[in-house]
Amino acid sequence: MRKLALRNLAVTAALTLGIAGLAAIPAPAQWLKYPTKGTPRGPDGKADLTAPAPRRPDGKPDLTGVWIGVTKYMIDIAADLKENEVPFQPWAAEEFKRRRATESKDDPSARCLPLSLPLKQTITSPFKMIDIAAKEEMVMLYEGARHREIFMDGRPLPKDPEPSWYGYSVGKWDGDDLVIDSNGFNGKGWLDINGHPTTEELHVTERYHRIDFGHMSLEITIDDPKAYTRPWKVRESPRLLPDTELLEAVCENNQDLEHMVGK
Amino acid sequence: MRNMRWLIASSILALMAAAQLLAHHSFAAEFDGNKRITLKGTVTKVDWRNPHIYVYLKVKDDRGGVIEWACEGGPPNVLLREGWTRNSVKEGDEVTIEGAVAKDGSKRCNSRSVNLADGRKVFAGSSEDSAGSSK
Repeated sequence: MRKLALRNLAVTAALTLGIAGLAAIPAPAQWLKYPTKGTPRGPDGKADLTAPAPRRPDGKPDLTGVWIGVTKYMIDIAADLKENEVPFQPWAAEEFKRRRATESKDDPSARCLPLSLPLKQTITSPFKMIDIAAKEEMVMLYEGARHREIFMDGRPLPKDPEPSWYGYSVGKWDGDDLVIDSNGFNGKGWLDINGHPTTEELHVTERYHRIDFGHMSLEITIDDPKAYTRPWKVRESPRLLPDTELLEAVCENNQDLEHMVGK
Repeated sequence: MRNMRWLIASSILALMAAAQLLAHHSFAAEFDGNKRITLKGTVTKVDWRNPHIYVYLKVKDDRGGVIEWACEGGPPNVLLREGWTRNSVKEGDEVTIEGAVAKDGSKRCNSRSVNLADGRKVFAGSSEDSAGSSK
């Protein structure tokens, strides 16, 4: 009898602990926080973001990780340039002026339309790079946008591409830098929320350099001869988000649109 | 030097909490950063959706009437990474929201801060760091 009572007590205790344990689990959010394997850590268990950059078996840097851009370039891709340093073609200068005068009310992303390049890389919503060296391919995943495939198998960019929001991307190594060339855009994307325009002639070059475990430099070259008189560069500094994964972000309910009056 | 409007806009943006900086659309197309409002009311609904959450609240006016306001917050994933969830504010909670008013005159605001009755700040202003800061 006493044995049974003890067993009941043990079962009750286990159940109570179990329920308490369950209650302590944070709301499920697609691995908002989960330790990433292979992350170098300090004595306190926190990710050591200044540890050396990891390398692939062939010695090239492994860029795999969840990264996030810097806010100012999402708003203004030319944030570090003076106004007269953006080499606008005349129509593009006019169009940019119009978009600013109406406070970017026609921003495609406000209509839940896709983010084009380079905005996908500069928006302060994380992107995940997965280096699939064995398949000669780099995959980039996003929270609210379609993935990109960057083919590293030596194929050239298409000569007469079907225009698209995300374009076509090929990559190659230049020493420790990953250089990605992309073309085949549809000209509907804006370079930033401020509204720097693009055309179907847009050719974007991204040069990624992993400085250490937690930091990258990203040089973006905008070459769009129909919109800009010469290629121009932007220097981004994405940082690694340790111990997290991408979360879904389906643009389903933009209630702002009808209220975006501009001026 | 960039034009004055850009300077003003960037100053306003700099004042906004991180969550608002990550708006998926132009703040200035919809809200007037110079027209600020403080709303004290009862939450009727929290719409936890992309690209921005909305907090709906009932606010009593001077004449004893009740006005429904809808106040925009950050994108859900930004808020999640700042430590908030869909349950951080519930229907019936008394809140004070400070924000910028919609340009079109509708009863909408872009919330710069949301405070619960016990003084806790929710959804905004938790961190000057941008999205995804690991805590």
